[in-house]
Amino acid sequence: MKKSLSMLLLIAFLAYGCGSKTQESSTGADSNATAATELADPPIEETADMVDLKGFYVGNFEATKFQKGKNPSFTNLINISIDALGAGKVEGHSVVAGNARPFTGTYTMEGGAYKVVAAEPGDDKYDGKFTFILNPNSHDVIGTWVANDAKLAVSERKYELKRRAFAYDADLELPGDVAWSELYGKVPDPDWMRSEVTTEDVLRHNVSKKRLKKEDVENMYKGDLEILRNSIYARHGYSFKTRKMRYVFDSSVPWYMPVSTDVSKELTQIETENIALIKRYEQHAESYYDSFGR
Amino acid sequence: MMQGTNSRVSAIDEKSLALTRRLFHIALLLAYAYFCWLMLGISLQYIPIDTDVAFLRIKQDEIALWHYKIAFFTHVFTAPLSLVAGFTQFSKRIRNRLPMVHRWSGWLYVISVLAFAAPSGFVMGIYANGGLLAQIAFCSLGVFWFIFTILAVRRAAQHDFMAHRAWMIRSFALALSAITLRAWKFVLVGLFHPRPMDVYIWIAWLGWTLNLIVAEIIIRKLKR
Repeated sequence: MKKSLSMLLLIAFLAYGCGSKTQESSTGADSNATAATELADPPIEETADMVDLKGFYVGNFEATKFQKGKNPSFTNLINISIDALGAGKVEGHSVVAGNARPFTGTYTMEGGAYKVVAAEPGDDKYDGKFTFILNPNSHDVIGTWVANDAKLAVSERKYELKRRAFAYDADLELPGDVAWSELYGKVPDPDWMRSEVTTEDVLRHNVSKKRLKKEDVENMYKGDLEILRNSIYARHGYSFKTRKMRYVFDSSVPWYMPVSTDVSKELTQIETENIALIKRYEQHAESYYDSFGR
Repeated sequence: MMQGTNSRVSAIDEKSLALTRRLFHIALLLAYAYFCWLMLGISLQYIPIDTDVAFLRIKQDEIALWHYKIAFFTHVFTAPLSLVAGFTQFSKRIRNRLPMVHRWSGWLYVISVLAFAAPSGFVMGIYANGGLLAQIAFCSLGVFWFIFTILAVRRAAQHDFMAHRAWMIRSFALALSAITLRAWKFVLVGLFHPRPMDVYIWIAWLGWTLNLIVAEIIIRKLKR
């Protein structure tokens, strides 16, 4: 068992090596042209384990080529979803940083793994091309992404994603082992630290389950309220557009994974009411906490 | 030191002292005008009448009550009058040369406080944010404001102008709590970053008790 596992790892590793080489050679090439040539490959019959490969692959989407002056976002949690796979073709979509984009591409088999080259439609500023190895045994996706626009703040990224299932669960709690009061202390953006106080108060309520009263929230810091409110969205797999919330949930909440960019229809009655209440106190704090008026 | 130089120096001292005092008064008046302007801005947030803006965003349960609604809008729109009326009242010149201005402005102050601002403030105090401690603070502020003002009117009617002045200084010190409590919030948040309702309890007390202490010091000084 162990032997075969290490064998597979070796294959995956070799395949990854080939993958990155191919990726280098195809950089700058028209993605459609690449797709067309690979479409011509003989189709591979769909088997049961291919169906089994569909799903969410989640992990860090890390910048490898970036421009410091453009305030790049170095790492975000990405979800690469394999939606259809077979006959040499791949369809899927990625969800990262509040942006959901479809991709289509092709795959070839290399040492038991699927070597995928896939392109986003190209009509969005942030579209680009994925090149990755999907390993059917270890259920992981390892690869790179190259932006169509080389002038973006981040034009190339790498990732090692693990397959993860998603299910909404109201019982998921914010983790107690996080130093919540020092959350923004070691942060990429010093503005957050200056403007926001966070405390262990975020652990006091599960706001997906408990219908809040004003007494529950009126004495809380704005920074805590923001995290509490967004914990609802996080449970639904919302992909955060703001860097601050990505920082909080990507790195500190192990159960969090981005799945969707719009969860408004998924919210329960309690959640909708709690969001409205928390938002009131957040806005009040925003306008009046540290100013003269009220 | 020689006698001659000494008296000359003290004459210059007196002159510059008077100038400093006048400058201080002007600065004080300007600062007061500025804060009155800010207060006016706070009231104007509710025009046109809106029950879901500014402070009311977090007073939705209360603003649904008819008596709170009346108290709130009464307070917001009449309390600034008492601040505006205060502009003229402590000027010796206006008191002596334009007694009518003093009198009319006085009535504006007294009516806005006794008929509107103090009772409405008391009702709002019953529902104050920050729990019992804050509620006691705001309610007693309302009660004291009302009592001091009424005493000041009675002493004026009795032509006891020394006592009238003392009670009016106390009354106005409480009127100024509108400004000082907000200024304290600004200071406390800047220094200690307390929780929102904790800071509210602190300013509910600091906002007027310290003013009263200052008022007593001024009254003592004037008596001498």
